[in-house]
Amino acid sequence: MRKHTNPSTGSFSLPDGARLRALAGVRWGLLLAALALAAIGLATVHSASAELAVDYLPRQAAWIGVGLVACAAAFAVDHRLLLAFALPLYLLSLLLLVLVLLVGHEAGGAQGWLRVGGFGFQPSELAKLATALLLARMLARIGGGHLTGRDTARALGVVAVPMLLTVVEPDLGGAVMFLPVVAGMLFVCGLPWRLVTVAALLALLAGGVAWGQFMKPYQKERVLTFLDVERDPSGAGYQARQSKIAVGSGELLGKGYMQGSQSQLRFLPARHTDFILAVLAEERGFLGVATVLLLYGAYLAGGAVVAMRAGDRSGLLLVTGLLSMIGFHVLYNSAMVVGLVPITGIPLPFLSYGGSFLTVCFFATGLILGIDYRRWVNR
Amino acid sequence: MWVREERAALVGRVRLLSRLTIGLLVALAAAFWVVQVVRGSTYRELADNNRLRRLTVRAPRGTIYDRAGRVLVENAPSYNLTLDRSETSDLAASLAFAAGALDRPVGELESALARAARLPHFAPVLLAEGLALDQVAHFEVARLEHPEFAVEVTHRRLYRLGAEGAHLFGYLGEITEEELGREPGRYVAGDWIGRRGIERAFDAQLRGQDGERVVVVDSRGQLVDEYRRELGRPGEPLTLTIDLELQRLAEELMAGQTGSVVALDPRNGEIRALVSHPSFDPNLFARRLRRDEWRELVEDTRHPLQNRAIQSVYSPGSVFKPIVALAALAEGVVREDERIHCAGTATYYGQRRRCWHRGGHGWVDLRTALKQSCDIYFYELGDRLGAARLARHARLFGLGRPTGLEIDGEKGGLVPDDEWSRRVRGHPWYPGETISVAIGQSALLTTPLQVAVAYAALANGGELVVPHLVRGERPPAPAKRLPIAPRHLAAVRDGLWQVVNAQGTGAAAFAAGLDIAGKTGTVQVVAQETWIDSATLPWEQRDHAWFASYAPAGDPRLVVVVFVEHGGKGSRAAAPVAKALHEKAHESEHGIVQPS
Repeated sequence: MRKHTNPSTGSFSLPDGARLRALAGVRWGLLLAALALAAIGLATVHSASAELAVDYLPRQAAWIGVGLVACAAAFAVDHRLLLAFALPLYLLSLLLLVLVLLVGHEAGGAQGWLRVGGFGFQPSELAKLATALLLARMLARIGGGHLTGRDTARALGVVAVPMLLTVVEPDLGGAVMFLPVVAGMLFVCGLPWRLVTVAALLALLAGGVAWGQFMKPYQKERVLTFLDVERDPSGAGYQARQSKIAVGSGELLGKGYMQGSQSQLRFLPARHTDFILAVLAEERGFLGVATVLLLYGAYLAGGAVVAMRAGDRSGLLLVTGLLSMIGFHVLYNSAMVVGLVPITGIPLPFLSYGGSFLTVCFFATGLILGIDYRRWVNR
Repeated sequence: MWVREERAALVGRVRLLSRLTIGLLVALAAAFWVVQVVRGSTYRELADNNRLRRLTVRAPRGTIYDRAGRVLVENAPSYNLTLDRSETSDLAASLAFAAGALDRPVGELESALARAARLPHFAPVLLAEGLALDQVAHFEVARLEHPEFAVEVTHRRLYRLGAEGAHLFGYLGEITEEELGREPGRYVAGDWIGRRGIERAFDAQLRGQDGERVVVVDSRGQLVDEYRRELGRPGEPLTLTIDLELQRLAEELMAGQTGSVVALDPRNGEIRALVSHPSFDPNLFARRLRRDEWRELVEDTRHPLQNRAIQSVYSPGSVFKPIVALAALAEGVVREDERIHCAGTATYYGQRRRCWHRGGHGWVDLRTALKQSCDIYFYELGDRLGAARLARHARLFGLGRPTGLEIDGEKGGLVPDDEWSRRVRGHPWYPGETISVAIGQSALLTTPLQVAVAYAALANGGELVVPHLVRGERPPAPAKRLPIAPRHLAAVRDGLWQVVNAQGTGAAAFAAGLDIAGKTGTVQVVAQETWIDSATLPWEQRDHAWFASYAPAGDPRLVVVVFVEHGGKGSRAAAPVAKALHEKAHESEHGIVQPS
């Protein structure tokens, strides 16, 4: 079955029947879940931007279109071809991260945006993908059921460079988002647990240093506010409090589409981006939230199946890395919206308004589906 | 490269990770369930509180009219500047802009901001009051660059007469924390209440009942919709007994003087004019008084806040003599035609007493004694009466206690006697002192309003009226009938008529056809050993001038009492003022319009 592959292009030389069977066997549910989430996001973004000067719906729709193209492109390319170019891609993303430090645009206290035409673009998103690719390539070459300390250290080194560049932007939230990618992949490869203990202690130390050296006052304020929401109910605690009020006041069935007072009367900040779930929770109630969480569950579980039946180690690792990234975004963002964790600028995959992350998520979905499609070939 | 065991290990870990993730998703769903379903109603309430704002709709304060329905005190729109601190990123720049637009020092705005330090961040702060229209325009134009500023329209008390009638109307002040605590529930913070005068005495009627609007606002506090409206009740209007024209004329006549004027209708006690000088502008209090303005008012040595007509007590001097005369007649110690000799001086209890007229008046009867204001005659009457009887008659005429005017702060004055002397001074009353009291000196103290009420009793045939300022609010207390024999009263009134109309001491108040009757009074401020014209002394040592009068003598319709501090002789400083007021009242009563 796997005899006619051309690894340089990833194109198939399978008979048509086998190709169709392979296509039919792909976990398309993943794409369906992603599309359903994007559709819900589109409607919610429209509602959330009702009181803004611009309706973000057309732009978000355009981004979904871009995302689908990225998804198709990622699906068409054999991930092994991408892995072959992992190092140049990684270096390119580092270059962009340096570039953004020099000429980037500032938004929300961090300088993380490059402007290409009319659209903003976050190089750290690209860097996450490139890092995932390079890690998958590195870790796939290592055999065995467990990693050695040296392998782990090398893997962490690969992550550390783009992460630090993101920290100095400063975009602590964005930098932290590198961690689930590497953590997921390392975990699956089998971590040396003694090392993990040491690393955890080092991380604690690093956290302390970050607090003292790198964190901006507003970031410290956010953390302190999380620990005590009433600390400054009109300042940094405001978002957390308003989000929780929005979510809670939605009750079981919600106040109705475009009827959320918290959202429509602008009590809720960043409601079309990071707090899109709060808008949904207010207007669609617990049922709306449960639906979204169910779709994410389906997406992540489906993705896990793809990882488990992947044809090669690099595929398994790449899918794991991508799912870890998406999964962590989902968990952290929803936990933040409901007031369980401190607020940081983490968007919700497929739902939040915002081009680069949406494109990355669809691209990742395409990659995952492509790996599933070629699972019989790439062995 | 893809060893089976190896693969199994990796797949196992992916499964573990996947289950962990699903587990966390379920836990998250549970968290949402708790917040949305278990505690949902609490947050629903919070969301409602978020979007609903209670706004007090201030009830406009009642308008105050004069007796003819002319507006004296009303409300005028006032523009206040508020700052929403959550709307500005650069507070210093915002304040600098506002200071420029208002042409006020930045420090003043900063201190206004500092006062609001305890307010929540999003609550607008009152920066300045009483903006001029061009200043309002300044902020409206800059709306886009400075969304943090808003101009709100409120009502401000407007005293149309400015400083005129200020003591009558009183003024308003913002309620203090202490007052809020004293009567919980009656007032709310930010209420303005009457502090003095009519504004204070009739605060309950004038203030009305505030209404409330419940509105839907967005996070910027911008009004989106109205949710509920409860109408308040506007303050009730008040009609005063004051005659605007008489009041204004009295103010004009007293310009530059220190003293007071009381004009009232002797038939019912309605006050037509009540003036105290120097005065102040109650409009200053209608907005928050600046510290320097307040200091200027309280540190002024002439005490402009003092209502001299009711709060200052003075020796009545010779205006007290008609009461002494009536007391002596009633007690039978003198007959109206009995003559007493005035040689310019007389000795009582080893002390030589002087008449104001150096050469003496010769033989004088009661009418002449009043007309000439002969001191020797009244020394003799005082001596015959004694302190106790003199005091009793003085009290009959309402001296020694407040008259019962609606506005607060009224002083009772003092009618001294032996009991008072023992209680307050710790020694018995000396008969020699009675001699001084008989000409309205010594410890005898009265307010100009008390004198006016006493003269009203002379004018109306012996009824002690209760003076009042407001029509129809409280039924005036019934006048008290004084036990005065008409024959005695006629003799005294005859004497008072002669004061003005028969070349007496009050000739300066003579007006043909007006039939003014009255009595001058001159109160020494510093003890004098010889006859000195006090006009030659420094201002603060000059005599106080009184003139108490009524007209027309046959059927009195107006009592006018004028008191000028350090005015010199009553005949010179006070009588012409009374005359002008009687003339004015006569004109309005007979519809005479003077060509201006």
